[in-house]
Amino acid sequence: MKINASVLNRFVGLPSEARDLRDLLDDIGLEVKRHDVATGKMTLELLANRGDHHCYLGLAREISGRTGDATCSPSWSELDIGESPHPLNITTDLCSLYSATLIERESTETPLTPDELAPLDAAEIHSVNPPVDATNLANLEFGQPTHCFDADKINGPISIRLSVAGETAWPLFAEERVEVPAGSIVIADDEKILAIAGVIGCEESKATENTTRILLESAAFDPVAVRKASRALSIHTDSSARFERGSDPSQVLVGAGRVVHVLEGHGWKRKGATGVVGQWKDEERTIGLKTAAAAAFLDHPLDDTEITDRLNRYGFSVAGSNGDLSVRVPPHRVWDVEFAADLYEELAKSIGYNVTATNLPPVDMGALPSHSDAVKMKVEEVLLGAGFYEVFTNGFHGTALREKLGIDDQHPLWSHVETTNALDRGYGLVKNNCLAQAVEAVAGNVRMGTRPIQMYEWTRTFHPNAAAPNGVCTETHRLWAIADGSVETDRWAGTPRQSTAWRMKGMVEEIGTALGLDLRISPSESTHPLSDCIHPGRQAQVTLNGAIVGIIGEVHPRITKAFKLKRARPVYMEIERDALLNQSTPTRYAERSVHQPIMRSLAFSLPAKVTAGEVADFLLERGPEWLEAVDIVDLFEHEEDGQPMRAITFALRYGNAQGDRSADAVNQASEELIAAVADTFGPRGVSLRA
Amino acid sequence: MNVDALLDQFRTDLAAADTPAALEEVRRLHTGKKSPIKSAFKELRSVAPEERSTVAAALNQASQTIATELDTATATVAAKALSAQLNAEWQDLSMPGQATRRGARHPLTEVENKCMDVLRRLGFELVDGPEIDAAYYNFDALNIPEHHPARDMQDTFWVTGGLLLRSHTTTVQARVLESQPQLPIRIASAGRVYRNEAVDATHLAMFHQFEGLWIDKGLTFANLKGLLSFIAKSLYGEGRIRFKPKFYPYTEPSVGVDLACALCDGVGCEACHGAGWVTILGAGMVHPKVFREFGYDPDEVTGIAFGLGTTRMAAQWAGVGKVKSLYDQELAVLHDLHRPPVGGAQ
Repeated sequence: MKINASVLNRFVGLPSEARDLRDLLDDIGLEVKRHDVATGKMTLELLANRGDHHCYLGLAREISGRTGDATCSPSWSELDIGESPHPLNITTDLCSLYSATLIERESTETPLTPDELAPLDAAEIHSVNPPVDATNLANLEFGQPTHCFDADKINGPISIRLSVAGETAWPLFAEERVEVPAGSIVIADDEKILAIAGVIGCEESKATENTTRILLESAAFDPVAVRKASRALSIHTDSSARFERGSDPSQVLVGAGRVVHVLEGHGWKRKGATGVVGQWKDEERTIGLKTAAAAAFLDHPLDDTEITDRLNRYGFSVAGSNGDLSVRVPPHRVWDVEFAADLYEELAKSIGYNVTATNLPPVDMGALPSHSDAVKMKVEEVLLGAGFYEVFTNGFHGTALREKLGIDDQHPLWSHVETTNALDRGYGLVKNNCLAQAVEAVAGNVRMGTRPIQMYEWTRTFHPNAAAPNGVCTETHRLWAIADGSVETDRWAGTPRQSTAWRMKGMVEEIGTALGLDLRISPSESTHPLSDCIHPGRQAQVTLNGAIVGIIGEVHPRITKAFKLKRARPVYMEIERDALLNQSTPTRYAERSVHQPIMRSLAFSLPAKVTAGEVADFLLERGPEWLEAVDIVDLFEHEEDGQPMRAITFALRYGNAQGDRSADAVNQASEELIAAVADTFGPRGVSLRA
Repeated sequence: MNVDALLDQFRTDLAAADTPAALEEVRRLHTGKKSPIKSAFKELRSVAPEERSTVAAALNQASQTIATELDTATATVAAKALSAQLNAEWQDLSMPGQATRRGARHPLTEVENKCMDVLRRLGFELVDGPEIDAAYYNFDALNIPEHHPARDMQDTFWVTGGLLLRSHTTTVQARVLESQPQLPIRIASAGRVYRNEAVDATHLAMFHQFEGLWIDKGLTFANLKGLLSFIAKSLYGEGRIRFKPKFYPYTEPSVGVDLACALCDGVGCEACHGAGWVTILGAGMVHPKVFREFGYDPDEVTGIAFGLGTTRMAAQWAGVGKVKSLYDQELAVLHDLHRPPVGGAQ
């Protein structure tokens, strides 16, 4: 709300120093966002539940609650209640009170004085003509919206009713008629809608400079009804803002009386009585309040007298004694005061949030990181040590990103949970995979020339599933990482290592080691949903206890091309977080022999499609019990008869626990393994490399 | 037997030896079995008995001199050789280091971890909840009924099936309360939240929040302030803080915590747009309606709820003016947030 401090000072005493004024307002919940000390103009951020703050009187009341200074109100005319100048017919209880007062121009109209216009000036409301200015002034002063109709444009009785389907109106400032949502409160005569209640008046009944007879409306409308109409029509006015937060029906005649009082000073004269319809009466809400409970809650000494005094300042009346009080809520506070807790807040504000006691509750014991937290930290240590940076991507994306994956509507990743009201087309699909955003992130960094590219994220994917507990989707927590280009920065000698699928495999292996999990990476054909988004010859699935929990590999060239990545060959890794939360298997240390193991190397030529892993597994399985390990230690790629071949060197570690293993026995075992490999893999093109 | 001539020859040979190998050769020539001095010792028998002791003494002296001078020369030559080796092996260590450069957690995660470090001391545990949730947990259960103006404060992404992307992590609190665990409840929730807003440098459709909830019998407004003070001082140091009234639908009373501007200490300056204070926390006592919604008696049980805008905290602590850049996956930005700019030789 934009106000002028000098106007506010007419309603209640204020500190003379600007800093003191600002501190006071901040301290009672009227937060000062801007203060031009020279002009006195201020912008206040009001609390969303305090409709009564949207006027000078409301602000003054709040200040009075703290300072105890009395508030002053501007003068208003007492209105005689009687026969309405236009018959009033109310058929909805969504209008609790409606008044109509006729005012006629009697002499030369004069503009409002600068003092009267000061609140409008501070609120940046342009002066239009005295009737309109007077209604705006009354709203700013008392928080009671009013509206002037040209009385000569009203035909027949005035109805306060709900609109029906297909009904139209021509709101002020609109270029054409609009359909009014059915069920909105409208003010209408026999021919037309005069106003959409609480929101805006209409062109066909508006007062102009030629108007000589005004019908002044002042009313109380249901907040939700006004809010619905305002939102449906996308028309937001000072009036709708006030009604949406709950108006004070006790101010209906005060607000009208203020308009009358102002206009009677500028050439206008009230004619006849004011017609009033509606069922409103003060509900006289009361709340029980225990003095001891309030004192204990605030940890502040309080007695009945002090509570009564402080609550009176805000307009509450207090009855009762001996610590058992009954507090009556004034009409302007029925919207936000229901419980004793609400009264505690009033007392705390009156005393000062920075004055009441401050005590940290006693705590017996702290907490350790949960298993989930600990797992996350361990995984991150692996990734951070390898140079990866954590990033965050959005939880949604647009259809354009899905198209870049090059999948069709039969693909398991085609179907998404969709947002239904996104302001931005880029937020239409709630993401069901991480790969697209990961590659997009690589593309962004490549464009910026950033190297190396290594990043990871803990995120979630959302998968349509009508059988899910929420009937819409399941959420899966995932860890993904992507890398492209050189692994090392500042490399000025030698050939820098590049990010490859093997390196990603190593990352997964290290994560498994860090967590004590037997994460296995097997290059067999994967059923992972991302499988056909990864290079078919450079991918492997990650399994744990036989279940597929992730995938690694090089991003499919089709997708890198879609992202306009010409030279980049990003490698990707993704694991379901819940798999990482499995209990670890502790490492069992086996006492080492004092005798050195005996090492032998065997090199075989392997054609494509025969994996080194399966040969290594075969060697370990077929070797003697005392063959402890088979490691792949060298790769030499070459051609044989025009076919690409790989010479793989396997290091065989033969145990020698007692120190009595003979070289002959080891050689014999190696010879038998060579023969077994020839028998088993020979038909597939594997041969011993001389 | 000319001992002086023998020493002269040794010194001539020693002077010519400037490598360890040449020195060894001199040692062999002048101290070995066939060296002149060893021969001279053998010839002592032929020296007249009255001169033998004098000659023997001279030979012993010469032998000692040879050994000493050989040792000295050996040390000198070794020092020269070492010096030459060291000179030859000089490395330009102004060249960049070659270790694998460590990556970094996102500033947001670092902020969340700091918050949890503080809260774990008070026994808080981190709990999780769905990001796609029912309006009940996001609004209705939290005293934000349909058509309540407070729903405008959080423009919501609705998704198919009538669910929504949570607009705050308070949904997690609602779910915890619904499960009615044993008191006291001390939980924190952190993560992504969504707002259906036009995105610019300072407004995001997705950002992060961090919230806490403490439920027990007898918690008071003074306890709320005590907890908030502890959190604020643990995270921000001993700067001045102040409390101010706020409105959150699910707490009553509601409180905002401001930290005095680091530059002007609350007086007001250009950096803080004259406010003097920066809001760091929103909090309050759990609203009676929320307790009743989940079957608690608000006369028996009270609670403290608080929230931190971790996105803004991360931006403030990292010195990032435009929070959007924290979500752009720009590795250059993340790199620079954790490492000093590359300059000359360190």
